[in-house]
Amino acid sequence: MAGLKIKYTKTERARQKKILKISERMLPLFEAMEKSLMSTINTISERIEQIRNTIEQNRKASEPWVAVMSDSWVEIADFISVNEIVTKPVDVAGVRVQQFERVDFNIKPVNAGTPLWVDDAIELMEEQLQLEAEIKCLEIQIEVLEEELSDVRARVKLFEKRRIPNAKMAIRKIGQKLQDDERLTIATAKVVKTSRYEEASL
Amino acid sequence: MSNMVYLLCSLPSLTFGQAPPLSFEEFYSDSKKQLSSKHFKMLEEADTQKIDPGAKGKLQRIFGLNTRLQNDLEEIRDAKTEKRHPNLAHLPKSVTGSNPLEREKQIMQWQWEQLEAIESGSTFAFINVLVYKLKLQILIRMDSFNREQGAKVLASVVNGA
Repeated sequence: MAGLKIKYTKTERARQKKILKISERMLPLFEAMEKSLMSTINTISERIEQIRNTIEQNRKASEPWVAVMSDSWVEIADFISVNEIVTKPVDVAGVRVQQFERVDFNIKPVNAGTPLWVDDAIELMEEQLQLEAEIKCLEIQIEVLEEELSDVRARVKLFEKRRIPNAKMAIRKIGQKLQDDERLTIATAKVVKTSRYEEASL
Repeated sequence: MSNMVYLLCSLPSLTFGQAPPLSFEEFYSDSKKQLSSKHFKMLEEADTQKIDPGAKGKLQRIFGLNTRLQNDLEEIRDAKTEKRHPNLAHLPKSVTGSNPLEREKQIMQWQWEQLEAIESGSTFAFINVLVYKLKLQILIRMDSFNREQGAKVLASVVNGA
């Protein structure tokens, strides 16, 4: 503020008024965007929590039979692996993010000799892996949205703390200076007029 | 014959559900000393998972048991895909209602009972050695079922992907 250089002209005052008008119009928009981003981030965090609960429920449901997964006959990891996590781009609160669609798995087909529990384990692992992949996508979404949120917050701060007060101050100072100049001009003119009148009357 | 008697008498008795009293290596080591190379080769071939349509004699009975089991497993899988109740020809119907661990144990118990039926009437015959191996295989497999290890396997697949 201290180092602010102001041109004391009517054009500059008009320019500062324009800046003030735009800034006062933009500020509520950025504030609304900030609120929207915060609310979206909260919603995504809640969704992550829900998914984590589902993962835990599935894990607990498998507890009575999880022992079978250490079957010395079967290497269950050979039957299932993630090939690709499929996402699609969507706009969330005005920000482009990748939304989870599905997981593309590599599933080794079971044969007649494969123990039956392998089918159940593949089903369970598919579900858990899908849920984990969804969490990963949502966490990335939060990262992107938080980046945008900090950018929007910086803008709000810029408008609130600098642009609007600076423009207001510039308008006030230019107004005062222009008024002073006008008074000085009038006073000078009066002096000139008086001295001319005195010269003429002599 | 005396070798067979000696081998079978020297082996610890097996009960379904117990911890395996000896390892495969120990069993093979003892068997190799007492059996002829032909019998030992047959013993190596016998397996609770294996199917060999060309097998003859004693192995045919073992592989026949595996075939019956696999046919029922296929029927259970087909029924699940087609969303209907499975028509089991050999396995007890109770296997379809249990959790995967209990189901596996019930299947192994059925295999155990079938093996006992196969060896019934024989005391110190080669079939008893074959059945002993398969029973030991069942016990070793059942002993590998461990809740903590199983949970680690699940976590490694789910979190390590």
